[in-house]
Amino acid sequence: MHKGRVLFCVFLIAVAAYAVWAAVGWTFKAKLFPLTVSIPLIVLAAIQLVAEIFGKADTGEGQAVDLEFASDVAPELARRRAIRAFLWVGGFILLVYLLGFPWAVPIFVFSYLHLQSRIGLPVSAALTAATWLFFYGIFQRLLHLPFEDGLIQTWLGV
Amino acid sequence: MFDALIDGLWLVLQWKAFSLMMVGMLLGFAVGLLPGIGGAATLALMLPFIFKMAPAEAFAFLLGMHAVAATTGDITSILFGVPGEAISAATVVDGYPMTKRGEAGRALGAALTSSLLGALIGAGALALAIPVVRPLVLTFASPELFMLAIIGISCITSLSGAGARGQIKGFAMGLLGLLLSTIGQERQSGSLRFDMGMMYLWDGLDFVPVLVGIFAIPEIVDLAIRGTAIAGERQPENLKAGVMEGVKDTFRHYWLVFRCSIIGVFVGILPGAGGGVAQWMAYAHAVQSAKNTKDREGFGKGDIRGVLGPGAANNSKEGGELIPTIAFGVPGSGAMAILLGGFLIMGIIPGPDMLTKHLAITFSMVWTLVIANIITVVLCLLVLDQLAKITYVRGGLIIPFVLLLVFVGSYTANGQIADLIVTFIFGLLSYFMVLYGWPRPPFVLGFVLGKVIETYLFISVSRYGFTWLRHPVVITLIVLMVIIIAYPYIQQRRDRLRSLANA
Repeated sequence: MHKGRVLFCVFLIAVAAYAVWAAVGWTFKAKLFPLTVSIPLIVLAAIQLVAEIFGKADTGEGQAVDLEFASDVAPELARRRAIRAFLWVGGFILLVYLLGFPWAVPIFVFSYLHLQSRIGLPVSAALTAATWLFFYGIFQRLLHLPFEDGLIQTWLGV
Repeated sequence: MFDALIDGLWLVLQWKAFSLMMVGMLLGFAVGLLPGIGGAATLALMLPFIFKMAPAEAFAFLLGMHAVAATTGDITSILFGVPGEAISAATVVDGYPMTKRGEAGRALGAALTSSLLGALIGAGALALAIPVVRPLVLTFASPELFMLAIIGISCITSLSGAGARGQIKGFAMGLLGLLLSTIGQERQSGSLRFDMGMMYLWDGLDFVPVLVGIFAIPEIVDLAIRGTAIAGERQPENLKAGVMEGVKDTFRHYWLVFRCSIIGVFVGILPGAGGGVAQWMAYAHAVQSAKNTKDREGFGKGDIRGVLGPGAANNSKEGGELIPTIAFGVPGSGAMAILLGGFLIMGIIPGPDMLTKHLAITFSMVWTLVIANIITVVLCLLVLDQLAKITYVRGGLIIPFVLLLVFVGSYTANGQIADLIVTFIFGLLSYFMVLYGWPRPPFVLGFVLGKVIETYLFISVSRYGFTWLRHPVVITLIVLMVIIIAYPYIQQRRDRLRSLANA
């Protein structure tokens, strides 16, 4: 039994069960479609859950037509790197939330290049400057995308 | 008719119209490369600039821009695994694994050449269909459109893994996509569903942040896990030879490219379906056309046919979408709705006049599609080897730049921080989907088609009760759906019997 696979099935069942629970109180028109798709989803995820628990899921015949992660990296190392990658992605969103895109972009790019990718200071600074120029030139000057201020600027009123 | 065809060409080749088309193409090229910023949004941004143009100039500018966005969108999908356009997501599935295998040049060559052939077939269909389009489109009322969307969903059988377990996972993912498409205001009664008290969810989940999260984040995480360049630690391929190989692949599989182009045209003609559906139907068709189960195994791991099918359908659907837009003023997609605005700005009313009084302008659109795509593909083929070199740059240098593109692209959907959070959540979900072997394409198909299915089902039932099930086209489509669902099983059974006979 693979704990992660079992948990993913449970997650699917929980999502579909929540959908059923939320939908039952709605009008007929509003609930028909969500119920029609949620109930079979519960059934299919439950079948897969049973197969995972009783160890019949890894037959290899059910391989998806999709990406497969690198298999040449040790699982423990891969897990650590994946967690670190998600933390960087989450960190970038947090930076955008706090400072807005125009400030978050150079800070994130420089931090990632210097701290994560271990690039020397001059190269990191040069690449950060190039990225910021690209961001400013394309998205702000050319396309005029409206980037919201970050929370900190809003607090400070600048 | 022939005179109008020549007049249309002449209108596009006028220096002003041609220059504007080139400017439009340049913009479309950039927009296609930048993830999330769709061709439709750029068309809307550029609409105010056409006020002082003549009709043929305005359409050369707008269509030139729109025509190339789908083509260049494939480039980002193949090089980084990040869909450059919502309509080029299917190219990621096989294009990016080819890049990881060191075959970026071949994948790009194939994508661009199939895009060009698709665009030419789409333009040809537009030219040929205009006189006969009226009865065709009128045959498709809401029940037929509902059944067509169901056929799209039935493609899940081909997009899922073989065997019972693969099908269970595929259909579960399709259902999850359908379920998440119901978030937001229900169109018939106006009730809010699964909004969790957040105004952001009232309009439902936007396609761009979801799609970018689903496809881009796991690819970026995978790159971080490997700690190498996108193409691994291989010696750089002979890029020119790779590109040429991709071009040859297109002609080697010309019949598949043709069929997928026709799928693109047909889906483009039907309102509401759009390129998001056409690419997946074409991809599913490419998978389904594999000779046997073994031949099918390469899909998702870098099969060239998985690049050719969506590439052709993406571009042929442009011609298809223009057919109802020109003939009836019924736009087939968001981009076409904006183009319709362009018609009205120019004082042109779509409809019979486009086939009589303004026939030369109609043909100028056909020529714009043809010329813009030829120029783009030729220019791209000249610089592809330089672009493909990016895949040999260390991943640690590329990741922050790609993340920037991903999140700015997502942010353009609604201009809210919530767009980034949606991208992150779906990125996380997608990571676990890949990790545990739950296929993402059926999820995307369900998500794209969910609203279409629900809307057309309600209209059909309200308008016809259940008598719509007896419509001849509906019955034909039901039979077609059964064939599509049953085909992979028939194929497996045939393979089993054949291997038993050989043993």
